[in-house]
Formats: sequence, structure tokens, C-alpha cells
Amino acid sequence: MTAPATFLPGPVPAAAARKRRVRNRYLRGLATPRGIIGLALVGLVLAAGLAAPLLTSYDPNFQTADALLSPGSGGHPWGTDELGRDLLSRLLYGIRADLLVVLAGVPIAALAGCSLALLATAHRAADVAVQRLFDLVLSFPGLILGLTVTAVMGVGRGTVIVVIALVETPGFGRLLRGAILVHRDREYAVAARVGGAGPLRLLTRHVLPNAADPVVVHFALAMSVAVILEGAMSFIGIGIRPPEAALGATLAASRPYLEDHPAYALGPLVVITALVVGLNLIAEALNRGARR
Amino acid sequence: MTGYLLRRLPSAFGVLLLASFVIFLVLRAVPGDPAATLAGSDSSPDAVAAIRHDLGLDRPLFAQYGTWLADAVRGDFGRSYLIGGSVSDLLGQRIGNTVELTLGALLFAITLGLVCGVLGVTVKNRIGQTLLSAFNSLSLVVPGYVTGFLLVFAFAVTWRVLPPGGHESILADPQIGFQYLLMPALALALPTAAVLARYVKDGLEQALGEDYSRTAKSLGIPPRRLLWRHALPNALPPVLTALGMQVGVLLGGAVVVEAVFAWPGLGTLAEQAVTRRDYPVVQALLLFLVAVFVAVQLLTDIAYALLDPRVRLG
Amino acid sequence: MSVPAFATSRRTVLRAAGAGAVALGLTACKSAVDDRKSQSAGAGGSAAPKRGGTLQIGALTDFTPALLFTQSSSFFLPRLVFNTLTAYDPKTLAPQPQLAKSWQVAPDGTSVALQLREGVKFHTGRPFTSDDVVFALANLKEPKRSAQLRATAAVVTDVDVKSPTELTLRLAHPVSNLFDLFEFMIIPDKETIDDALTGKKLVGTGPFVFKSWTPGASLSFARNPDYFVPDRPYFDGVEVRIIGQSDALVAALRSKQVHLALGLGGRDLQPVKDDKQFAVTQFDTGNGAWYVGANVSVKPLDDKRVRQAVSYAVNRDRIVQQGLAGFGLASSAPWPKSSPAYSDATAKRYAYDPAKAKALLAEAGAGNLDLPLAYLSSAQQLAQMVQFDLQQVGIKTTLEPLDPAKFQTQLIGQTMPALWVGAHGFAQLHPSTLAVSAYPFNEAKNTSKFSDPRYTEIVQRAWQQVDADSPTARAAYQDLTEVLLDQQFVIDLVVLAQLYAATGDLHGVTQNQFASTVLDDAYLA
Repeated sequence: MTAPATFLPGPVPAAAARKRRVRNRYLRGLATPRGIIGLALVGLVLAAGLAAPLLTSYDPNFQTADALLSPGSGGHPWGTDELGRDLLSRLLYGIRADLLVVLAGVPIAALAGCSLALLATAHRAADVAVQRLFDLVLSFPGLILGLTVTAVMGVGRGTVIVVIALVETPGFGRLLRGAILVHRDREYAVAARVGGAGPLRLLTRHVLPNAADPVVVHFALAMSVAVILEGAMSFIGIGIRPPEAALGATLAASRPYLEDHPAYALGPLVVITALVVGLNLIAEALNRGARR
Repeated sequence: MTGYLLRRLPSAFGVLLLASFVIFLVLRAVPGDPAATLAGSDSSPDAVAAIRHDLGLDRPLFAQYGTWLADAVRGDFGRSYLIGGSVSDLLGQRIGNTVELTLGALLFAITLGLVCGVLGVTVKNRIGQTLLSAFNSLSLVVPGYVTGFLLVFAFAVTWRVLPPGGHESILADPQIGFQYLLMPALALALPTAAVLARYVKDGLEQALGEDYSRTAKSLGIPPRRLLWRHALPNALPPVLTALGMQVGVLLGGAVVVEAVFAWPGLGTLAEQAVTRRDYPVVQALLLFLVAVFVAVQLLTDIAYALLDPRVRLG
Repeated sequence: MSVPAFATSRRTVLRAAGAGAVALGLTACKSAVDDRKSQSAGAGGSAAPKRGGTLQIGALTDFTPALLFTQSSSFFLPRLVFNTLTAYDPKTLAPQPQLAKSWQVAPDGTSVALQLREGVKFHTGRPFTSDDVVFALANLKEPKRSAQLRATAAVVTDVDVKSPTELTLRLAHPVSNLFDLFEFMIIPDKETIDDALTGKKLVGTGPFVFKSWTPGASLSFARNPDYFVPDRPYFDGVEVRIIGQSDALVAALRSKQVHLALGLGGRDLQPVKDDKQFAVTQFDTGNGAWYVGANVSVKPLDDKRVRQAVSYAVNRDRIVQQGLAGFGLASSAPWPKSSPAYSDATAKRYAYDPAKAKALLAEAGAGNLDLPLAYLSSAQQLAQMVQFDLQQVGIKTTLEPLDPAKFQTQLIGQTMPALWVGAHGFAQLHPSTLAVSAYPFNEAKNTSKFSDPRYTEIVQRAWQQVDADSPTARAAYQDLTEVLLDQQFVIDLVVLAQLYAATGDLHGVTQNQFASTVLDDAYLA
């Protein structure tokens, strides 16, 4: 088994045929047991979040006075929290809030990382600057970066998206930069250059399509890291603003009631685990497909 | 080699200097006044102004930066606004706690990694293999606060055998300290253990496939002896390299695990200092993290240079 | 569940988990969750005071040296190491001698003669004299110490030192809360004051001698053999451990790793509340009160009917029950029950009445409200409860969590949004202390940007009383309460209780009016 970071480029196919094959490779990767389980886990969580209004009739923020910390009884299938809010409803709407943040933050990171990588490979001085910038960001643990950015921007959804984007940008950037550097010096690229292809054409037609594989795989991984980061931020109270439900915040709030009301904590634990495991399985499946 | 080092060192210091400047500026851009937190909730504006003056916060920014940098170069990181004592002492103590946690986790990770890796080669039946690989995959990806919660639920709530959080120095009181350390260290160790297990397994498989292994087998050396005496020593060097790379991962993970277990380390100090704008502490702490990162990178580069003369000369 | 039961389960579990001989060997002799040997074993249930032993305290928050001269959250420290001039009797609120043996207030209230106790020594061995009182007063007047009673200390314009044990304080005008100042002002050793402010060395005259402090971890104190109260304290030493997480602190108490847990809220204490092995003591003073602040410069909160509507809309009893597990006093006035200004009628003035709130809003013509509601990020539950209640009467709010630095800056800088929830202190003593010491109530400049000549007049009148208990003084307090309740720029919700959770064998723990733990008479038996 090879470490996931190495990607062996396939032979050099013609552009159109290769495009189809690329798609097929990903599909083939996803059609393995690994891929299917991963897709199922993520799909299930996603569906639960999307269908929240259908699955529960409770407003996630409604505080009923007559059921506090009730463990799954009567009208509340998953029980209520210490303010009398329906836990199932908070869990489902929490999924929505989480995924929204993740789906906003990761593409921004991918875009920013890839742009910076292109910039870095275009010019030597830019390369040095971009590399040092990535170093600076990477030298802080994600949560400490989160604390600092939150101090500047205040608590809220926007802050979490910025933190996710900031933390994940160097990952995308370094990956694409490395891949471009590798593919630029391969025989087919050299051949195309000798054949008179301009730098832009070389990049878009020959180098980028081949260098894109690791980025696609990394996207799934980055999503899982974002889910973890969002959870950690709301766990320590710098995530999405209350009263809106968030998985990490629900988990943190459940702590005093672990003994009497374990379902309280169980909900977010299961959902976060399913999401993270599912996304990682998808990443692995994509990776295997890409390497085939 | 010296030439290479001389070329790399300025860039490392450059990153540090850049970081010191960025950290200083970002902190001052943060709304919220450290003097106000110091003054307390029922205090008046003139008390805050007096404290600002006392802390030197009313001086021009660049003068403040200059003083701080000049002192920092001499190893003096000032005094914590909030805690009063010297920042170096405070940081040293908290780093000690984080190191304690990280070392505990490292021990767990190595043990678990070796066990799972060796099991990965020796367990032959399908169910065992599936279970092992599922355990590894889960350990690798499930975040520390989730495992931490599950551990608390199991060992501090359901069976009350371990404290749900807190810290007692393992040096001061080994017995009690050990019990406080167990759960956080385990929660922190799992992802690293999974990475190590994979390396151990790959290394063992490779070593057992080598010519000398096959020869030894044909000579009738028992498989167990072959595994422990021949294959394992050969599989270890890449594991050690992987271990080195995991140090950063453990430090990052420690921040989260500390929050779950109220472990008084760097993470909890960072939270306290950032939310109360204890500038000297935040500055020193962030700069320390950058320094660690730069040092690790430098060491990695040097190791590469030693192995690959082209890098050294190019 | 009884404690021995889980001692057995511990071993079975560890064996079952195959935790190995090492772990078993260790836990067999000492456990971080196991029952510490009960000290009451031989006492046969008698509760006679007993010398000796070390008290183990668990505290949620650490000591903060920079806040030494303020009322801060490190409740345990001030009265262990230091003493004050006088101490209130908790029942009658009459001042009792401490470092001051006796005192005479001049009939016009502009001077006080003090006679100090003789033979008192600081922990360094230096005798305590009048000069130390002079120093303590000057120290408190410094703005950077941010002592909340600075306004009262500043009234002392001059001190005549007659002898090492006799001095007279000259006041700019009479003040009703002079003995609040004496209760508040700890007398530090002037020679080591700089070390005290960095937490290196704390020197006082108190029952325990400071030994060491490890930030974030622990503090250690030894018995003061030369304490001026004969045969006190009973304990040989006090160890304080900082356990920064409530469930871990409760676990430490449950396993009797600590005898006394400080800083826990009512909800945290659910697991031990009904357990006979533990005692939860409630002091109604010293932990302040939760309130909703209103910025009167923001429309429509400039209309007092809207502020009154907010007051009617919040269900205070629900906050006490859900947020505090029943510990606390739902009250629309700031005063705890022990205050001379307390009355049932004023406490219940704004009983939960959403219909009345709606009517008041309609009367004021305030509809379609959407206001920001700021809160300290740790007060999340309270903010969400207030938000929900306000929503029920048609006031939509957007929550704005602020970290401590931002919250504090906006509070003092008068930049709070329309509404905020917070906590204030200083209602537990003489009512005037609240209006001159707690910034949200300050008549000259406050967070609400509220100013009213009538309020100023009442505050000054209540403050400048010669006799704090005279009928005119009481009338002034009554006026103060009425103006606060009518204007509602600070909408009080709940007077918080200070909770001491202790093992059943700990006796004699009290606190002063500023919530400083007093262990002079505490013992284990």
C-alpha cells in the first residue's frame, strides 16, 4: 500500500477520451464497498438535514416549559434539552447549519488554495511568498487560529467559514503546486512544449487535467476536516451563534447530563462520526479509483 | 552542510520575524481592551484608563512593538496582564503540561500502533482482519472530542473509575496523575496509533516478503521468531520517521482534547489569554508555536539534505 | 449510588478491560475517584471542633493577582491570608471588631476614630500598625487597583495617626457605607505589595500563611501560628486545587478528593444535592445578580414603558428553576433578602405577565421590534431564555455573544447595543454602595446612558447618611428602589446564591459579605 499523498499519473491519453476516463475512474472508485458505504453515510446525514421540516414538527428553538431534559417520551422522540427544546429537531437543524458552513468554507479554500498554487508556479518570487504564507498559517493548530480569528471577527457563521477557508487553503495550495511541478516536467508536457504549445495552453490542456486528481480526492478529506473543525469550534463556544442549533454546541451542552440523559450527547456524537467516517471513505474510494 | 544551514537559517528567522509582526498587529486589531477585563465588571472608565497607562498600552503601537521585540530577543516576554507572573514561567509550566499529555499519548500510540500493526500481519481470518481494519479506520478519523466524550461516558459516568477531567502533575503524584492522564492521552493517541499501525503493517509485510525472510522460512526458523527478530527491526525505521511527523499532529490535537478534559495546557491557556486579551501571553504563545513549526521544518529539511546531496548543493 | 459500591465496580471493570497489572496495582492503593479515608471515622458523629488536618478545596476558577483588591471570583483567597478592619455580623449586619478593636463615628459623620488591635503581626513578623491602614486606604484609592469601593475610599481625605494603634479618618462628607469599605478593604503588608500583585508572595495578618501558587493548578497555605484569635484556625493547612470544569469538580467532591467545592452553580450540584454525605450551603449574598440592561439612547428603549414591558415579559421563576436548579431569588429589585432595602413587594413588582408586557408595548407604539441582545459568551443559557421570553411578547432579538474582553470594554465604554444580559454585584450591603460602586447603576455615567437629576439626588441622599440605619436613611433606600423599578434601565432578574458544596464532615465554613470564604472556625469532624 502506498501512502495516500503519492499519485502515479497514468499514460497520456487524448483530451476528450481522457475526460471520459477520468469520470469513469472516479465512478469506478466510488462503486466499491468502501465508496458505497461512504456515500450512504454522508447521504443519510445529508438527507436527514434536508428533510428536517418533514421529519419533525417542532421548532428547534421552541422552549416548552412542561418537558425539561425528558429522555424520549411522548411527543419528543429523542427527548428535550435543559431549556425544554426538542432534541431531534435541534439535531436535524444542527446538521443543516453545520453542512452549510462546511459547504461554504471548503470550496472557498479550494479556490483560494488553487489560485495561490497557480500563482506560485508561475513566478519564483511569488512562490517564496506563497510558501511562507502557507507556513505561517500551518504553524498554528486549527483551533488556536479559530480562537484568534473569532477574537477579531466576533462569534458567528461568517467567522467559522473564514476559519475553515483559512485552515484548509494551504492544504489545497501545496497539493496542487506539487502536482503541477511534477507534471510540468513529465515527458508529455516537455513534448508539448517542444511542439510549440504556449505556457497557458500547456497548463490548461496538459498539466492541470492531470494534476487535478489529488485536488478532487483532497476535497472530500477537506470536508471531513471542516466538519471536525466546525464541531470543535462550536464545542468551545465559538461556532454558530445560539440559539441556532449546532452539533458541537449541543455536545458541549450535554456534558452535565451524560448520566441521566445520554441520548442528549449521543445524537451529535453519532452524526459527527457518520459524517467524518463517510467523507473519509469517499476520499479513499476516490483515491483508489484515481490511481487505477 | 554548514553552507546549506547558513542558507536556510535566515529564511527561518525571516518567518519568525514576519510572524512576530503579524501576531502583534492582528492582536492590536482585535476589539476589546485588556485593561477593561482587568478592571472588572463594576469598574469605571477612569480605572480602565489608569490601568491602560500602567500597562503601557497608551504608547504608540510601533514603540510597543519595538520594546516587545527587543525584550523578546533577550528572552524576556514580559509579564502576563492577568496572571501577573512572568510569561516565560507561565508558558513553561503550561508547555510542560501539554508535553506530559503528548508524551502520554505518544506512549499509547506506539503501543497500540505496534500491537495493531503486528496483529494486522498475524491475524489471518477474515473477520479479525475486517474488525482490525475498521478499528484502524475509525481511530484514524474520529475527532478527539468524540472519543473523549465516549471515554468520559464509559469510564467516568457509567463506571466511575476515572476522573472526567482535571489534572494532577504526574511528577508530583504519579498514582493520581496517571489516572488523570489516562483518558485524555488515549483520546489524543488514537489517530496517531492508526497511522503507526499502518506503517508497521506495511513494513512487516515488505520485510516478510524479502529474500532473506523466504530463505529463513525455508531454513525452518519459526514464523514467530522471524517476525519479532527479523521483520520487526527492519520495519521500524520508516515508523520512526512517521512518528516524527506525528508530533505536530499531536500538538494540534492536544488543544481540542485539553478543552474536553479541562487539562491546563497550551490550549486552555490560549483560550483564556485570547478571550481576555492578555497580549503578552498570546504573543509569546503564538510565537512559540511558529518557532516549533519552523524548527520542525528546518530539521526535516536538514534530514533531507543529509540524505540527498542534490538538495545540499542545488 | 453509595461510594463503596463503585469502589468494587472499579476493580471488576479494570480487570475485565484487562488494563494490566500496573493500572490495577496503582488504583488498588490510591484512586483519583475513590473515597478518601473519611476523617470522621473515630469521632462517633460528634461535631466538636477538632484541631489539625488539611482542608482540601476545589475551585472552579483560579486566583487572579491583578484582581486582588477588587471583588473577584477567587473567593477563597482574601480572608485566608488577610484581615479587614471590621466584619459584619451576617445576621444583623452590625460591624464587629476585627483588626480594629473599637471605633467612634463623630456626630456629624465627618470623622471616625479607630483603635487598632495590639500585638497583631504580619506573616513576616512585622507588627501591624496605623501606618498599614493608611497604606491600605491609599492603595485602594489608586484607580489602577480598580477597587469597586474606590469612591468610598476617596471620601477619606485625611488621616491623623495618633499612635501605632490609634488613628482618625477625616471624611469629605458623611457616607452610609463606610463599614462596607472596612469589610471590603483587606490590609496587605506594604513591603511586599509588588510581589502580591504578581502572585509571588502574599503577606497579611490572616489565619493562613500563603506558601505557593502554581497558576492554573493549585495554591497552598499553612496555619498561621501567631494568629491574633487564640487557638485558631483549627486546620494545619489548606490546599486549593483549580479544577476548571464543573463535572470534574463535582466528581472530585463526590469522591471526597476535595472537602469543599467553590464556584459551582445549582445545576452542577444536582448529583450531590440530595446525597446525605454532602451538604450544600446557600448564602444569598455576594454572588451578585443577573440583569437585562437597556441602552436608553436606542429607540424605542428611550420609552420607559418599553423597558417595563421587557421586565414583565421575562419569566424570572423559570430562570431560577431551569437555569439555577432552584438556587436563587427571582426578583425585580437588586437586593438580596438580607439587605435593609429588601421587600417582598418590590421583589415581585414585575411578576411574569406577558399580557401586560404586550399592552405596554402597544401603548408605547412599539411594534415590529428587532433588537440586538449582547451577552457574555458564558451566559448562553440565560441569554437564550431571555430571548425566548421576549419573543413571546413580540420583541424579536438577535443574540450577540461577546468574549470577556469585548463585553467588558463595551460595558465600560458605553457601547452596548440596545439590550444586554449581565451580572452586577454590590447589592448585598448598604444600598447606596450599589449606586456608587456598581458601574451599571452609577448615577453620573453608566452603561445604559441613563441620567436623571432625580436619580442623582436620591443616590447622593442615600449615600451621604450619617447613620445608615436611621429612618431617613431607610426612606432614601426606599426611594432608590422605587426609582430603579420605575425607570428599569437595569432590569434585575435574579439575585444569585453563593453555593458551598462540602462533604458532611466539614463544619464552620462561612463567608463575609463580599463572598470571601472564612475558615477561621472551620474544622473536620
